[in-house]
Amino acid sequence: MSKIVPKPKALNCPNCGSQIELRAMGAAASVVCAYCNTTLDATNPQLTILQKFESRMKVEPVIPLGTRGTLKGSVWEAIGFQQRGINVDGTNYFWREYVLFNPYKGFRYLSEYENHWNFITSIPSRPVTGNSAVNRGTASFGGTEYHHFQTAQAYTWFVIGEFPWQVKTGEGVQSMDYVAAPKMLSAEMTQNEVTWSQGEYVTGQEIWTAFKLPGTPPAPNGIFANQPAPAVTGPGRPWLVFLALATLLFGMMIFFAANSRKEQVFRQHFTFQPAAAGEKSLVTPVFELKGGTGNVQIDLDTEMSNRWAYFAMALINEQTGDAIDFGREVSYYAGVDDGESWSEGDKHEDFIIPGVAGGRYYLRIEPETDPPAPGVSALTSSPINYRVTVTRDVPFYFRYLLGILLLFIPVLFMGRKGGNFEQTRWMESDHGTPPGWPSQAGQSDSGDEDDE
Amino acid sequence: MRPFYLLYSSLVTGGLFWSGLTGWTPASYDEVKGVPKSVRDNPGAYRSHYARSARYFGGK
Repeated sequence: MSKIVPKPKALNCPNCGSQIELRAMGAAASVVCAYCNTTLDATNPQLTILQKFESRMKVEPVIPLGTRGTLKGSVWEAIGFQQRGINVDGTNYFWREYVLFNPYKGFRYLSEYENHWNFITSIPSRPVTGNSAVNRGTASFGGTEYHHFQTAQAYTWFVIGEFPWQVKTGEGVQSMDYVAAPKMLSAEMTQNEVTWSQGEYVTGQEIWTAFKLPGTPPAPNGIFANQPAPAVTGPGRPWLVFLALATLLFGMMIFFAANSRKEQVFRQHFTFQPAAAGEKSLVTPVFELKGGTGNVQIDLDTEMSNRWAYFAMALINEQTGDAIDFGREVSYYAGVDDGESWSEGDKHEDFIIPGVAGGRYYLRIEPETDPPAPGVSALTSSPINYRVTVTRDVPFYFRYLLGILLLFIPVLFMGRKGGNFEQTRWMESDHGTPPGWPSQAGQSDSGDEDDE
Repeated sequence: MRPFYLLYSSLVTGGLFWSGLTGWTPASYDEVKGVPKSVRDNPGAYRSHYARSARYFGGK
């Protein structure tokens, strides 16, 4: 693959005499000596000096010039490198740009800031700029609307290698960035022209793999302007997974409900007299649970108020003598305090026993409540009327709804995390908040450019 | 987070499917073997494990 790029042409720097390799086959407009940083006119066979610059800054490119790599399906050779920066509130922020060249495809660029990388292509047509409903700058290109992120004066601090324009150290342009992750549009404006380019976020691993760089790429710092949100926090996906699973659970609920018999096999009213002497437990008539193994629901409905009762129960198989022991407390209290009525508890309780084999069964019921206290209250000595209902093979509804809720909670959390990702991204912008949100006070809310 | 959610949702969905198939419930109960047949005529011949375990916390 590397054979498609011819060998570089070697010349000497007219300033320091060092060897300069021209790799862009005459396509570059300027070349910067890697030793003395003198900018030379690459269109002139004599390499006349465009700018002498004694740079105090020496930056070693991570991708050595002359390195070839396959990126986005094409072979590219790194032929130029510059470090640029902006100054915000007295602090310089630097990023690095590489010029990539392919003799058949021309020039592309890589930018790197805090280990976030972008593959950049110049675009010939100018995007349509405007303002969004909340008066933020927008740029439309290729059917995508980009939102204004930042406007700054960018300066070139250090350059080496070849460039398709006459690069100069110290040169400044106004740059405007518009974002629609994972892409971004950038406009660079001088007094004479506006150049638009489109960047696409690429991972450090892609760069390392493409150019076969040693080691592993450093981890990116922070969230970059067009860094795509992590897949699970991106819009749609967790919700789609949740909707699919919620539909599945709902379908399961319908399936099991449709296949349950919900057959009432026993119902009877009883009266419990706490004040009565003798054995308080009783047994019900025998009832039959048909079919194989299935669940059994026992419902207790009472008519009591402002008291409690406890029912120790056993579902006993008449033939085998095997029993399932369980208990349920029923309590219901109500009243009026300070003009406000209140109530707590329930007159109804139910109990579901899973996996009960078919057969003939009866219930042993042993009710219990406060013993009557002579002279204190006649109410506690009054009888408790209750009804017992036994239903075979009942469907479950609540657990599936609870399951849907359990599936929803992490999605809600992931959505919040995704929101935090966007907030963090846009905190670095001129607006401080994501598009559609009110901008933070004191920050510019317009991306209008002044390049007409 | 995605692998966690896939594992978590698989457990929730699978658990509910299993509970639907088996009829499992989180209810507390005891299985007792060999309850005497005389309980039919004399309910006091057998005492439930849950008898006299009532705890009242109701009332305002």
